[in-house]
Amino acid sequence: MKEREVDYAKEKRKSIIAWAFAIFFAVVWLVITLTPFAFMVMNSFRKQFDMLAQGVFHLPDPWYFANYTEVVENGFFGYFFRSVIVVAVCLVLMLIISSFAAYPLSRMQFKLRGLIYAGIVAMMSVPMHVTLIPIFKMTTDIGLYDSLGALVGPYVTFALPMSVFILTAFMMTIPKEIEESAEIDGCNRFNNFFTMILPLSKSGLSTLAIYNGVSMWNEFAFANTLLQTPSHKTLPLALGQFKGEHSLDIPMILAVLTLSVLPMIILFIVFQDKLVKGMMAGAVKG
Amino acid sequence: MGRSKKSGLAKTRAKSIALAATVFLIPALLLIAVYIIYPIIDTFLISGYKWNGISSNRTFIGLENWMNLIKDKLFWSAFGHNLVVMVFSILLQIPIGMMLATFLDAGGKKFNLFKTIWFLPYLMSSVAIAFLFTYALATNGGLFSALGTLIKGQKVTVDLLGKSPNALFAVIGVMAWQFTPFYMVYFIAGYGNIDTTVYEAAVIDGATRVDYIRYIAIPLLGPIFKTACTMSLIGSLRYFDLIWNMTQGGPVGSTELMATYMYKLSFQQFNMGYGSCVAAGMFILITVIALLFQKVFVVKEDY
Amino acid sequence: MKKKFWAVTLGLAMTAASLAGCAGAAPADGGAAPAEPAAAEATEAAAETGGAKATDGKNLPELTTEDMTIVLWDIATEDPTKTIQEGAVARFMADYPNIHVEQVHQQNDNYKQQLVVAMSSGQCPDMYISWGGGPMAEYHNSGFADDITDLYNTYDHPDFIEAAIAQGSYKGQILGIPFGGMSGCDVFYNKTIFAEQGIEVPQTLDELEAACEKLKAAGYTPFSLANGSKWTGSMYYMYLVARHSGNDEFDAAYTQENGGSFTSDAFIFAGDKIQDWVKKGYFPEGTNSMTTDDGQDRQLLYDGSCAMMLHGSWQARSMAADNQEWYDENIGVFRWPVDTEAEAKGVPQNVEVGTAIGNCFNFNAQGDQDKLNAMYVLATQYYNDDTYNEEQMASNTIPSINGFEKLVTEPNMKIITDVFFDASNVQLWYDQYLPASVTEVHKDSMTALFGLEKTAKEIGEDQDAAMKAALAEQ
Repeated sequence: MKEREVDYAKEKRKSIIAWAFAIFFAVVWLVITLTPFAFMVMNSFRKQFDMLAQGVFHLPDPWYFANYTEVVENGFFGYFFRSVIVVAVCLVLMLIISSFAAYPLSRMQFKLRGLIYAGIVAMMSVPMHVTLIPIFKMTTDIGLYDSLGALVGPYVTFALPMSVFILTAFMMTIPKEIEESAEIDGCNRFNNFFTMILPLSKSGLSTLAIYNGVSMWNEFAFANTLLQTPSHKTLPLALGQFKGEHSLDIPMILAVLTLSVLPMIILFIVFQDKLVKGMMAGAVKG
Repeated sequence: MGRSKKSGLAKTRAKSIALAATVFLIPALLLIAVYIIYPIIDTFLISGYKWNGISSNRTFIGLENWMNLIKDKLFWSAFGHNLVVMVFSILLQIPIGMMLATFLDAGGKKFNLFKTIWFLPYLMSSVAIAFLFTYALATNGGLFSALGTLIKGQKVTVDLLGKSPNALFAVIGVMAWQFTPFYMVYFIAGYGNIDTTVYEAAVIDGATRVDYIRYIAIPLLGPIFKTACTMSLIGSLRYFDLIWNMTQGGPVGSTELMATYMYKLSFQQFNMGYGSCVAAGMFILITVIALLFQKVFVVKEDY
Repeated sequence: MKKKFWAVTLGLAMTAASLAGCAGAAPADGGAAPAEPAAAEATEAAAETGGAKATDGKNLPELTTEDMTIVLWDIATEDPTKTIQEGAVARFMADYPNIHVEQVHQQNDNYKQQLVVAMSSGQCPDMYISWGGGPMAEYHNSGFADDITDLYNTYDHPDFIEAAIAQGSYKGQILGIPFGGMSGCDVFYNKTIFAEQGIEVPQTLDELEAACEKLKAAGYTPFSLANGSKWTGSMYYMYLVARHSGNDEFDAAYTQENGGSFTSDAFIFAGDKIQDWVKKGYFPEGTNSMTTDDGQDRQLLYDGSCAMMLHGSWQARSMAADNQEWYDENIGVFRWPVDTEAEAKGVPQNVEVGTAIGNCFNFNAQGDQDKLNAMYVLATQYYNDDTYNEEQMASNTIPSINGFEKLVTEPNMKIITDVFFDASNVQLWYDQYLPASVTEVHKDSMTALFGLEKTAKEIGEDQDAAMKAALAEQ
């Protein structure tokens, strides 16, 4: 008994040291991640000349707010809402379709399973630019060119292979017993999927929502190829207004980027707890 | 489910499984066929032509592009850069992401501020990242030159983006900065998927936090961990964005990647035929490497 | 850019009006002086009375009265160019209500890619911006850029300077109508630093080097250069070649005939000179790591660490937009100095580097003559009309039209314009003039040259090899 207590004290000391180290590195990493972000925000409050003359890593002196007024006057909210619509629609579709596909790949044994899985991995390797011309042709042929609808197909599809791949891995970690017990209760596969598997994959789904949400929100190449009227364009194309052949208004661009990143941060803060909660516990016990 | 016995019941079951699998897979496969498989087939077809990408005349030249590709030093050096990026991406992004996630998982809600700030790099667009890092890494007035000067006590200039091989490693660093947060979130989700009763049981058995991580959490995270590696691998082999915004492949091709090389040929140098050949070659290489990786490192799951 | 520009009027708008007419009414045979101001005022008055078109009384093709749509691609995403160019289209549509112009502003960064995508999908716009040179030749050879020589010779058009039309031509056929104004290439220098160091504006290369030494001794880096962009370093190379041999050696190297080579005298001289300057510290450290798009070269001028910058004349616009006051107070311009040795051998010292047309419109009517006529009228009479040119002048862009050089009053722009219009020949930027594959090699050569990784001879050989390969392709 005594030995155990000594051990415990030693462990505790070790644990304190470990935490001290961990916190130290955590703070270092905090600085590394925060600094560039902070300077993006701060440079958006400067005039280009001040930024260049004083250096990029200098506090705004003086603070200059007109960039934001101008960004807003140049139709920022229009771009913003179109992006919200596109990302929301594409994300929901993508999550449904990819979890549909991941379910049989992770939890059913059938002939073509290995081949399809390998095919999905191969589809992740396709260089995005080779699809520009075929997709442009298709989009004009079906009359979707220059509408937000044009983006849905490519956005959903290009997120699919990776999402299916990840979700398959996540669904594999769900214990088999869950389904088996459900089967005994007489649930069919579709019920199973919606009542058991989908809720249990929440953490995987939220990771995917974050990953693909961010890349769709920032997507430029397809949007630039498939949209042409300013009143149909999405947020990443708004930058073009401040970029010319030989000119670039950097603080203005950073102001646009700061404004576009804000909603993402807010969403992350609101939903971050969805990621950590061990959802398995309740499910198994219940 | 894999334990089915050879009986009539098992056969009907197999059939019903096949049917269910088809129904679940069809939407994804249809979309992929239209938007990805068709273009990649098209790419393979174009790779047999000499074509500037815009003219209605294209000349069929058989395998000539492919023969050139095999001998093309620029392509293989780009592939080499991709491999370097791949190795360092996996070595940097995944372990750091894992450590951050472990830290956050151990700390729980009280570390939410850390989590939010650590996640910021992933939210920034490549345009902003490229701009800020061009300045941060600049020889004049950049952070590293300043740091060197501070340490040495005399003026030191560190040229990170203007020289080979510095530029490639500088870009790898920036990529790690940008993507580590994603792996962090990914592993947090992985931890979230572990049954909390497992941890509770372990604690009752007298395990410490470190024991729990080492003997229970990491093995349980196995599949998640391997998927992360595969993603990082494929991602770095087809990478384009940040490199294009920061260096466009320079200086003197020292950060040229397969994707930037392909892009220049296809869309800037009116050499779509050969550009498509590079794209097709790139597709083959990445697929082979990814599948090999799957075969070697990803142990078949037990059903 | 933005509204600040409108403050930068230079008092030009007023004067430009008096020259009205040189834009629209020049005779077809070209080369003639701007038309009488009085005639132009009459046209203007007619336009104001309503009903009448700006093109009334001019020798132009009869335009269709049927409905027509013209799809036009430009890169005017940003003000003031956006407003100026939308204005031209609006005036055209007001005069010809049956013709609808669908004006699409593409982003410059991805413009060439967009064009490839559209052309290969059979969706090529009817008229689109290009920069002449190699890409325009590709568009023409693929059937997307119409030959407008006949239209140009038959009908009215502005009195474009010869070099501008030459740059919009390919194999003797006129393909492009200029509308973007000219861009020279000169040395911007910090007047304050020069005065403080007692340095006179250098007239010869020797004086330039002496000035550099003086600056160096005083702790300044002589030249600001962001060679990460590569074409920026190319400006030094091009000028040293041009002063040493005029156009001769470059033209010879371009054809690779009669002993022409990128390893000939002038190229070796230029390469060696640059590397000598690099070693002496005339350029900023890490020049290859900086890009001009991010403003890193202007930064070194602004923070006072560099004293000079050889750059395109649009930099005057950029700097003035960044800070008019600072610009007026500190920045002066001089032309690239004379190579006295070459001058003694009779090499012309007024071959200048730059572009006579910032850009031009190419036309893709696919055999529809009515459409081509309409586009011709739009490009020559509405783009390039008085209003358009006044607005261009107000934003520090000098139209590539004879007569406008006389209207420039702002001292720096005046020097730039005079240098440009006095040129015996304008050497278009190599990176626009050379075939695309050679351009890539040329740009990498510039990195290697300024990085001291390859000698002048080695980069010459690389460029020769690329040029030979490109010629063999054709």
